[in-house]
Amino acid sequence: MKEDIRIGVSLYSLTTPFIHGVLDLEGCLKKVHDMGYKGVEIVAAQMVPEYPFPSDKWLYMFRGLLEQYELEPVCWSAYIDMGTRTDRDLTEAEIIQYTVNDLIYAKKAGFSMVRTQHAISPAIFRKMIPFCKQLDMKLTIEMHWPHHPEVPVWKEYFKIMKGEGKGYLGFVPDFSIFQYMPHALYLRQAIEYGCRKEALDKIVKIHEEGNCSFPDNPAERETYCLKRIEDGDFTEIEKHYAAEMFGKFNHPARIEQFRDVIDCVFYIHGKFYYLDNDRHDPCIPYEELIPKFVEYGYKGFIASEFEGHHFYSEVDCEEQLAHYVAMNKNILDMI
Amino acid sequence: MDFVAYNEIMICNTPICNVPVSGVVIGYEFRIKYPSYRGCFLSCIEELYFEVDGQRLSETEVFFCLNGKQFTIGELPELFREYWFIRDPAVIRVLKPGGLSKGEHTIRVYMKHRVPYTGYFGTYLVLESDRMETRSCEG
Repeated sequence: MKEDIRIGVSLYSLTTPFIHGVLDLEGCLKKVHDMGYKGVEIVAAQMVPEYPFPSDKWLYMFRGLLEQYELEPVCWSAYIDMGTRTDRDLTEAEIIQYTVNDLIYAKKAGFSMVRTQHAISPAIFRKMIPFCKQLDMKLTIEMHWPHHPEVPVWKEYFKIMKGEGKGYLGFVPDFSIFQYMPHALYLRQAIEYGCRKEALDKIVKIHEEGNCSFPDNPAERETYCLKRIEDGDFTEIEKHYAAEMFGKFNHPARIEQFRDVIDCVFYIHGKFYYLDNDRHDPCIPYEELIPKFVEYGYKGFIASEFEGHHFYSEVDCEEQLAHYVAMNKNILDMI
Repeated sequence: MDFVAYNEIMICNTPICNVPVSGVVIGYEFRIKYPSYRGCFLSCIEELYFEVDGQRLSETEVFFCLNGKQFTIGELPELFREYWFIRDPAVIRVLKPGGLSKGEHTIRVYMKHRVPYTGYFGTYLVLESDRMETRSCEG
């Protein structure tokens, strides 16, 4: 039912004011409270000053701030920083240590869920079950672009989530996996890096035609698109952007892939890059996704996750979040 | 290209300060921040160099100060337990007898850095952040 869907926010959406020193963590909490949000996610590696070893004093202070601003702690986002060391990747023991730490820190700060990354591996994911049970914590893996449910390792993850990890282990689809068109900030940057406007328009048109002509065959689609670029009058930088665009946005996940694993979806990252209105995202098909996730029975938060800050700092994140909330409200009202 | 906008924060908007020791100016300092949306372990910095007024500084005249400690540039790859919080400036201390003259100077920072969670396809994303700013020295 659509009443089971709640729109929350990842504080990561406020990256620009946070890293530029305009808002501190408390300022971010106050901002999202004032915007009307209830559920929040924190990216620990970003906003926890004592990361990766926050003190109890800090964790309980943070918990108090969440209560003060009437915010529900929904998700503590963690990383598998496999390449931390110069000489080697993290070992299994180190990954377990960092993940257990995150479960403990999240618990102390009042969260009931930790989001980790798919690099955790099925073997380690399974080994986390006793810790999750002991602490009564959920551990989820983010399904981020370029992954989708058909990627082989995810078959293993689903088996664990539906089996011995049921109720404790789940996943977080990031809606970037459904992106089929380049966003406005990406195109603006392409022009600033030297692409001609008319050439870029042509590349986008080729991309669209490729998606329409070969809806079920990404490899053939990419070959077709690249051939048209080779045969056309494009500069080196335009060819670079064309190849990147075709590679990134030509094999979006399909919504029906989620029907059978919806019981493992504990949380959703509502990724978006730029909205200029309250009704429609031209890159990610929210009008299809939201009704289908409702139909499949998803219950929980969709985090507003604005990511345009990777491209331009002057894009107003508060305005973007307001567009995002309004768009989702409109879509939910239509169901 | 992702990550590009974060380069804006790399050179802090604070003055260059000369460093006196018992009345003798031994060098100068300026501040930099890590150019990303999140912090990093110092071991993820694969290359770091500076140019001041067009002159590249040698590693032996530069110290990297963070978390109440001072490191040489050569030590950075080993510092996998030293975390650089995204809002914390690191102080770059440069040995130069007499310091810098009062007035404006250009600072260029070049950093090659590994994104430690991106290695799932066998290689890590390595970013190059390159920024130049004019900052004033208060003398």
